[in-house]
Amino acid sequence: MATIVKKCCCFEVPEDLVESVIFKCTSPDCCCGCCAPRYKRLVDSVFPRNPQDGLVKSNMEKLTFYVLSSPEKLDRVGEYLYQKVSRDIYRKRNGFTVIGVECMDQLLQACHSQTLNLFVESFLKMVQKLLESPDPNLQILATKSFVKFANIEEDTPSYHRRYDFFVSKFASMCHNNSSNDEFRNEIRKAGIQGLKSVVRKTVSDELVENIWETSHMEKIIPSLLFNMEHGRKTLVKDENDGVTEAQDEIDAPKLAENCMRDLVNKATFGHVRSIVKPVLHHFDAFELWVPNDFAVHTFRVIMFSIQSQYSYAVIETLMNHLEQHTHSSNAKIRTSMADVLAKIIDIAAGESVGPSVLEIVNAIVQHIQVSTKLDRVDGDEKSYRETLISALGEYVTHLPDYQKIEIMKFIMQKVPSRSDNCQSHRLLQNMLLKSLLMVGSKYRTTYLSTTFPIAFLQPLLTLSQDDDPEVRLLVQNILHTLIDRRQNREKLFTPTLKLENINREPSTRTDILFVKKNGAEIFSNMIASLEKNNNELRNMNAIYTTVALFTVELFCEDTLFDFVRLVLSFQDLAITSTVLSPAQKIHLHVIALCLFVLIAYCLPVLKEYSDKVIKARRDQAIHLMPPLKTRYEVYEPSQNIPDAALLSQDAIYTLLKQEGFEPTTVKSAAYTFPRHSWVDAHMQSSSTTDLNSISLEVDSGSSTPDGTKQKPNQTDMELTVESLKKILNEPSENRKAVESEKRKNLNESFKTAAFEDLVSKAAAKGGNLQNKLSEIFSKVAVSGTVESPSRTNNNHTSNHVGNKVRFPNIYEL
Amino acid sequence: MEDYRFLFKVVLVGNAGVGKTCLVRRFTQGLFPPGQGATIGVDFMIKTVDINGEKVKLQIWDTAGQERFRSITQSYYRSAHALILVYDVSSQPSFDCLPDWLREIEEYANAKVLRVLVGNKTDREDREIPTYVGEDFAQRNNMYFMETSAKEADNVEKLFMEIAHALIEQAKAREPVPEYKGNPGQSVTLNHRTPSTTSESCCSRLL
Repeated sequence: MATIVKKCCCFEVPEDLVESVIFKCTSPDCCCGCCAPRYKRLVDSVFPRNPQDGLVKSNMEKLTFYVLSSPEKLDRVGEYLYQKVSRDIYRKRNGFTVIGVECMDQLLQACHSQTLNLFVESFLKMVQKLLESPDPNLQILATKSFVKFANIEEDTPSYHRRYDFFVSKFASMCHNNSSNDEFRNEIRKAGIQGLKSVVRKTVSDELVENIWETSHMEKIIPSLLFNMEHGRKTLVKDENDGVTEAQDEIDAPKLAENCMRDLVNKATFGHVRSIVKPVLHHFDAFELWVPNDFAVHTFRVIMFSIQSQYSYAVIETLMNHLEQHTHSSNAKIRTSMADVLAKIIDIAAGESVGPSVLEIVNAIVQHIQVSTKLDRVDGDEKSYRETLISALGEYVTHLPDYQKIEIMKFIMQKVPSRSDNCQSHRLLQNMLLKSLLMVGSKYRTTYLSTTFPIAFLQPLLTLSQDDDPEVRLLVQNILHTLIDRRQNREKLFTPTLKLENINREPSTRTDILFVKKNGAEIFSNMIASLEKNNNELRNMNAIYTTVALFTVELFCEDTLFDFVRLVLSFQDLAITSTVLSPAQKIHLHVIALCLFVLIAYCLPVLKEYSDKVIKARRDQAIHLMPPLKTRYEVYEPSQNIPDAALLSQDAIYTLLKQEGFEPTTVKSAAYTFPRHSWVDAHMQSSSTTDLNSISLEVDSGSSTPDGTKQKPNQTDMELTVESLKKILNEPSENRKAVESEKRKNLNESFKTAAFEDLVSKAAAKGGNLQNKLSEIFSKVAVSGTVESPSRTNNNHTSNHVGNKVRFPNIYEL
Repeated sequence: MEDYRFLFKVVLVGNAGVGKTCLVRRFTQGLFPPGQGATIGVDFMIKTVDINGEKVKLQIWDTAGQERFRSITQSYYRSAHALILVYDVSSQPSFDCLPDWLREIEEYANAKVLRVLVGNKTDREDREIPTYVGEDFAQRNNMYFMETSAKEADNVEKLFMEIAHALIEQAKAREPVPEYKGNPGQSVTLNHRTPSTTSESCCSRLL
């Protein structure tokens, strides 16, 4: 160093020497300007005599050249400049302050990053000094300078820089409340820019401040939001006042929004929460949830800016927040939050993968669950749930189909079983089915077998037997949306004879397999649901639609007899049922006819016959024509229906035979589907034994001993192989007649007899049966026989403890 | 003029309208602005004071009392060296909220923060909180106590000076700085080469 000789103004001297002599002489009061070191003189020369003249450009160049050629001096130059500036600030000589800052800026720009490190310290001290000044002009000047600094890419690490003052101060500037509008605006803008710069400076540099710390985020985020929101208000106001002024006003909020985007964009997974939490707190504190335009806007900004793989973390955080609000705040706020969720969730859906999907669905379902448990049943709570469901729908829409099935299965699992009868469970059941319907409506079925995996179909069908007509209707609606592959739903909404433009395609092999596998179960469930005596008109319509859609989708030569049998058993049910009201029986007749017409539409051979039946009905039994009505003038329809107006199994089978269609099973009559006596009506709904028997019949075409499992309870006959044989061999009509006679008697007796009589009678009979059964159990362990009575017991212990016999369904209601 | 030995952050909290901003204004600028509007977010002022010849720079953060700004103001507690909890002696509600404020402070501020209770507006005729009640409350909660009037400039200077004093004591107790002992009046120019990081790091030790 000592060898370097520099030219001074008056004499030549090794620079270090001079420096060592007047090393400490940095006092502003130093009398002797000429003995100051060269760098000081250079700095001094930059300032003009009169501040209005501005920076002395030529001297500035000299100074720049000087620090570039001897970068080791830069630190001292910085320190000296800092002192000069702070002196000027103190003496309120703003003109010189501005020049000092400008000089500092230029040096910063000119110098290479490697040498900047200490200089930056002085620079930042200067900026801080300016920011500490109460003069808004200086604060703005400081911010501008700081922004310039932030734009410089430093490649040397800086270990000991602290930005917490800057964050605090800039955040405070964002909230400036000066009475002077212009200043207020400028300072707020400066504050936002400052924050933006701090973020830019720190985000990429791990060694400096961790900007994601809560103490910083809690300052930055509310400041940005405050400005974003404030701008929206003034924007609205200004639109009325005139556009010219609005131009300036928009700036601050726009700036804040951009800053927000920047910040969110830089966030990684761990930071998402530290961003979203202050946002949520801000909305809570400022009550910005209702109305939620701004919340929606903000979250959209976040969702669109965030790196897409993290977007679900935002959703998760929002959902957690919703949870915190569950008990504290009113439903309106929660509805608004859920609405925000609904509006942004689709953005996340595209990126969600794996477990996160189910997590989100689970969270939504849980919110619904929690909401149903609350005692409040006002409209707000209801709309909250609806919003949640629509959020679910929005989310699911954007998921791939295979995930939708998973989700449907998942929701299905959550639906409470029907054994729970309390209000909240009902509500939850209802809500979850609605969610299911929502998901289902977003799903496009290609293969029915993929749409209805057994784990989903089974519980769904079980629910189709629920006691609540509302639930049954929902289940039917879910079936509609899932079965309807070709948009026929609207056309088949109610039973109709006019079939036009039904979209059909030939059934595929998988379709047929589906019918073979699940058809029997589905159909027997349809029949069972038709037999519910609290069915309303819309339930009837809905079941018609379901079966009709199945027909359209799956009808072919292979499945022909399944459908014909089904239709016939509908009619059969109408004639034999003792539970249904006359109007419901008429409905069944109408549905049977309409379905037959649909079959005839698919298989024109039957057209002629169907026309014949229609004509007969028109002439003789007009009340058996669609549409369905709630009230009929004719009662006891089964008594006076002329045969011609009914579908005749023989006629149909003959026709089909002529065309070369042979029924696949021997005992393929309408009663393939079990008739229910009062005892097994209940068991039917969920009994797997029945279903086995049916599928066996369909599959093997021969009646097997399994087919008898359903029957032990039907009569009080002795349960021997002989008696069973007898049942099988007897012509069905005989048995039916006997049965219906019996049923009538039973009905009669229950209606008229005294309660005590009934109890004693039932007790006696029950004991009988009980003995018999235990006898059988001890002899053979037949799974089927074990199952049915035990189920009966389970279902009906409430009225008579210790008495294993139950009253028929009709008396329960 | 320039260098300071200590830098302390002082944060004022308390209900809206108890006179926090006026206290700060009175202290930093010597004025009492009538019709001062509600503070939004956080306001910032700085004042350097001389305590026994030592320059102490006070960074004063004046927070908004309104509930809705609570989340941003809380973030300022954390780094504070002293918290001034202000109530209005003529307003019982502002006094009743003190326990809530204390809870906030417990939750968000540094455990070793210096806490000062200030009853402001002693110039008011309609006083509702007698001095001893405030004093009692302060004692129970281990706080310094003072009654002030920003309007009359009563005790305002004293308040901040005492805080500065206490903070210095605290700082010195925690980290004695030998080279300054016995010579508090040392001139600034001589200190110059001691990089100002000393004073900064001294403060950061307080954190």
